[in-house]
Amino acid sequence: MLGAQLALNAVALGAAYALVAIGFVLVLNATTAVNFAHGESVVAGGFAAVALTGALAMLLPAGNAIPGIVLLPGVLLLTALLGLAIAALAYLPIRNRPPVSVFVTTIAFGIIVTNGLNAAFGAAPRAAPALLGTGTIEFLGVTASRQSLAIIATAVVLIGALAFVLQRTQLGRQFRACAQDPEMARALGIRLTRITLLAFALGTAFAGAAGLLLAHQFFVTPSDGAGLILKAYIAVVIGGWGSLRGATIGAMLIAFFEVGVASISSQPLAEGLLYVAVLLVLLVRPDGIFGEPQRLRA
Amino acid sequence: MSALPRVFIVATALLATLTAAAAEPLRIPVLVPITGFLALEGTSQRNGAELALRGSGVDFDVNDTATSPEIAVNAFERALTSGRARDDVIAVVAPMLGTQMLALIPLADEFNVPMVTVSGTARITELGSANVFRFFPGDVVVKAAHARYAVEELGVKRPAVIFQTTAYGQSGRAELDRNLTALGRPAVFAEGLDVSVKDMLPVLSKVRESGADALLLHLHSGPTALVVRQARAMGLDIPIIAGSAMHQPETAALLAPSELAGVCAESGASPISESDPATRAFADAYRTAFDREPDAFALGQYDGVQMLLAAVRAGAKSAADIRAYLASRRYRGLAMTYASDGKGNMAHSAVILCYSGDSRVPVIVKRYENLTGIL
Repeated sequence: MLGAQLALNAVALGAAYALVAIGFVLVLNATTAVNFAHGESVVAGGFAAVALTGALAMLLPAGNAIPGIVLLPGVLLLTALLGLAIAALAYLPIRNRPPVSVFVTTIAFGIIVTNGLNAAFGAAPRAAPALLGTGTIEFLGVTASRQSLAIIATAVVLIGALAFVLQRTQLGRQFRACAQDPEMARALGIRLTRITLLAFALGTAFAGAAGLLLAHQFFVTPSDGAGLILKAYIAVVIGGWGSLRGATIGAMLIAFFEVGVASISSQPLAEGLLYVAVLLVLLVRPDGIFGEPQRLRA
Repeated sequence: MSALPRVFIVATALLATLTAAAAEPLRIPVLVPITGFLALEGTSQRNGAELALRGSGVDFDVNDTATSPEIAVNAFERALTSGRARDDVIAVVAPMLGTQMLALIPLADEFNVPMVTVSGTARITELGSANVFRFFPGDVVVKAAHARYAVEELGVKRPAVIFQTTAYGQSGRAELDRNLTALGRPAVFAEGLDVSVKDMLPVLSKVRESGADALLLHLHSGPTALVVRQARAMGLDIPIIAGSAMHQPETAALLAPSELAGVCAESGASPISESDPATRAFADAYRTAFDREPDAFALGQYDGVQMLLAAVRAGAKSAADIRAYLASRRYRGLAMTYASDGKGNMAHSAVILCYSGDSRVPVIVKRYENLTGIL
C-alpha cells in the first residue's frame, strides 16, 4: 500500500509541477526567449491566495473558512495581470534584442517580485487555504489527502481546457501559428503582440494556479521562485522545447524522482539521479522526448 | 604671509577636524540576511539588533547580506570603508548564515573589528579568530540538550534524525550524532534533505521502516512544519523533537495546534513562553515595533547588542575596547548569562520546549544551564 500512497503523492506533485511547466512553455512558444520570472509568478499565486484569504476573512463572520476554489478565479485574474506586466515591462520593449536581454530583464523582474513579496508579507512561510477542505479519504488502504486529489483534478481541468483551446479554436490556431513561424503568422494578419500578451497572461495564470495549489500543502515563501523555475526548466528540457505534452511528462518525471526514487534511495541521491536522467535524455534525444524540430530556441 | 597666521590656519583646521571627529557618533553596521532562504531568521536577527540600538546614541545602518558569501563580504567592506571614518565602527552585527560568517572572519581579523552574531554553525568559533562573538548557543550546546532530552527524559532508544543538507544542517547533524553516540543511543536512521524538498512521505516512510521510537529534526522552518504535518497525517505517532526552527512562532503558525501535540524543540530561549517581567517587556516592545512575535534569534541578538552598549557605557570607545570587554566580562542578558569561552562562544545554556496540542505557544519543560561549564 505504501507504493500506491507514494504513487498518488507523486502524481499530485507532478500535476502541480505540470501547471508550472505548461505556463512556462506557453510563454516560450509565443516568444523566442525564456521567462525567468516564471518561478516568482508561482510564488505570487500563492501569496495572492494568502492576501485574498485575509481580505475575504474581513468580510465574512469570524470562523468561516474560505476554500481555495473560491479564491481560484481571483488568483488567476491577479496572476494574469502580473503576466501582462512581465510582458509589457520585461519582454515587449526589448523583444528585438538578443535573447540574453530577455533573460536579464525577466530575472530582474523576478527579483523585484521576490523582494516586493518579502516586504509586503515578510519572509515567513505562509499557507493558502485548501482547495476543497482538508482531511483525508481512505480508499483500498490508500490514504489520500483531499488536497492531493484536488490538485490532480484542477490540473486535469486546466490542462484539458488549454488543450481544447489550442487544438479546437481559432485562437488556438493563432497561438500555434505564432509558435511555429512568427513572421509568417504576422504576414497572415495575426496580431503578434496580442498573442504574446495573451500567452504571458495565460502562462502566468497557470503558474498562479499552481502557486495556490502548492501553497496549501507545501507552504510558500518569497524566495521559492528559483527552485520552481529550475523544475519548470528541467521539465521542458526533458519533454522538449515547446511541447505541452512533453512539459507534462517532464513534470511527472521530476515528481517521480522526488517521491518514488527518493523513497528507495535517499533524497540527495534521487536529485543526483534526476540530473543523470536529464543528461541521458539529452544525449539520446537532444530536442527532448517530444522536442519540436521547427526552430531552435534560446 | 607671516608664520603666525599660517600656524593659526593650520591649528584651526586641525581643531575643526578633531572636533568633527569627536562629534561623530560610534557606529555598528548591521549585516543580516533579510532576503533568501534564511530571511525569516535573518529578519528576527535584524529586529533584535534594531530594537536594542534604537535610541542608544550609537549609529547603525542595516545591510542585507542575502544568502551568498560574496554579498556579505561586499556589505562588510562597504560598511567599513565607505563614507565615514572606519574608526567609528566599534563592532559589526554579523549574519547568522554560517557560510557568510566563514567568509567574513578573515576580513574582521584584517580590519580588527569584533563581530556579534547568532549563527549556530560550530566552525565559526573554531578558527582561532579573536573577533567572533556568538550570542546564540552553538550546535555544541543545543544539540547536547536536544540529544539529552530525547534519551534521558523521554527514554528514547532508537532515534531517527532528519537534517538539512545545508552547512547549518550538516553542522547540527554532526553534533547530534556525537551526542547520541556518547549517550549510547546512536541514530538508527539519518537522512539529509535539500530545502526545496516538498513531499516528506518518502523520508518518513523510511523512518517508520527503521523502527525508530523518536524523530529528531534539524531543519529550517518550512521543512520542519512539513515533516510534522505529514508525520501526523500518515499516523507516525512517535515523539518529534525538532531543532530551533520549531520554536519560531511563524513555524507553529503553519500547523494546527492538534498537529503540534507531542512536538518538542530545542532552542536558546523562547521569549513568548517566559513569564519574567523583563522578557515580557522585551516581547511587548518587539510586538509594538515590528508587529510580529519575537523568537530566540531576536532575543539573542538583542542581548548581544545590549552587551556592546554596556561596553560603551563602561567607557569603550574603539573596536579594541569592545573586543576586550566582550572577551573578558560576564553579562546577564534576558535569555541567559553570557561569557566567552575563549573562542567567542558566549551562550552556554539551552531550553527544551513542548507544545500541548491546545495552543501554539510552547511551554518550557527543561532548562539546560551552563552545558559547557564556562559560567
